[in-house]
Amino acid sequence: MTTHEMIQLMTIDGILAAITAIGFAISSNPPRKAILISALLAALGHGFRFSMIKYGVDISISTFIVASFIGLLSILFARIIHCPAEVFGFPSLLPMIPGLFAYRTILSLIKFMQSSDNIKNQEFFMDFFHNGMTTLFILLALVVGVSLPVLLFPKISFSVTRRY
Amino acid sequence: MENKLPSIEQTADLLSDIACELMSSGAHTMRILQNVSRMADNFGYRLDLSVFQLSIIMTITDRDDSTKRLTLIKKTKQLLINYTFVSNLSALSWDTHDKHLTYEEVKKRFHEIISEKRTSRWIILILVSFANAAFCGLFNGDIYAIELVFVATLVGYFVRQEMMLKHINHFVVYTTSSFVASLVAGMGYIFHWGNTPEIALASGVLYHTPGVQLINSVLDIIEGHILTGIARLVNASSLMICTAIGLFTAMLLLGLGKL
Repeated sequence: MTTHEMIQLMTIDGILAAITAIGFAISSNPPRKAILISALLAALGHGFRFSMIKYGVDISISTFIVASFIGLLSILFARIIHCPAEVFGFPSLLPMIPGLFAYRTILSLIKFMQSSDNIKNQEFFMDFFHNGMTTLFILLALVVGVSLPVLLFPKISFSVTRRY
Repeated sequence: MENKLPSIEQTADLLSDIACELMSSGAHTMRILQNVSRMADNFGYRLDLSVFQLSIIMTITDRDDSTKRLTLIKKTKQLLINYTFVSNLSALSWDTHDKHLTYEEVKKRFHEIISEKRTSRWIILILVSFANAAFCGLFNGDIYAIELVFVATLVGYFVRQEMMLKHINHFVVYTTSSFVASLVAGMGYIFHWGNTPEIALASGVLYHTPGVQLINSVLDIIEGHILTGIARLVNASSLMICTAIGLFTAMLLLGLGKL
């Protein structure tokens, strides 16, 4: 794959992620300024994660890297617009929440219960563990990543809404 | 200065209202604690607070006279995530601290903040539908799948809004709404639209994922509020299980076995 194609794919991925972030953010009713910033952060984050996965980085590690990057940027923006960082940091993570893996986990569990064929059951059990662990690790990577800056600089991140 | 300070009952009432509002707008526990303690500090009281899913327990003590103290338990409202409230209440707590606002001023501004209206439900409906359709695109769904997901989300989210307005049990709402959305999204399989009908089916219900609650729960656990974190996690997981039940019922009806 050439670099040019890669950038094109990343851009498409970023735009789709931005639309997703706007829609999912607005159902949590954030301030207007925060919606645009969360769209921007989601586009950056998801685009970079996409390229990292394409170059062979594991999904949870790339999620962690991207999430801590989003966390840093969101503290920066929080200082600028005087809004708590999670108001736009969390919605920008929503496109990366492993919903699909979670539903697959529950599906394989239900199939395991319904089936009595031993060989198939092994397959369902493996599916359950694979999807469940992926869900868990991505979720942990997201939250630990995004709150790493908050844990490192608690003074700054809790006083962003302070105006004086 | 002395007679300006509000009585212990007044302060406790106001602060417990603020804590409940923060809890039901989806702030994480650490933020609630910090905001409310900061305000209590300004009024000359010390505050101990524990936050649970359904209630908060608060003890407020006079800083100069520790025999003057009050404990109260207050029920929280149903969770309805509202980040504008979180942002404005957090700003209010800093203003209280920095500008030494009086009790009346804080109370007035608090009521101004919570009487602010939410975004119109129709705008939310349209934007969530676009969002979920774009989400389907992120999973490499083709254009047929994307259109199908758009319609499915439109129908499913509308059902959810209507049922929420009638105050039906949350679990029932999630199950029904995801069932309807998956029925629509499953049409791609039945009529052989496009090459990726399975992606349409799978991402048709993704708008239901309680992302903010999941993030909040892990954040609470990291920060040491393990009980609240686990309560939030169980709540979010049961909503996801309900969504999955709706999805699988639709798959069973349509005769589909793979996601």
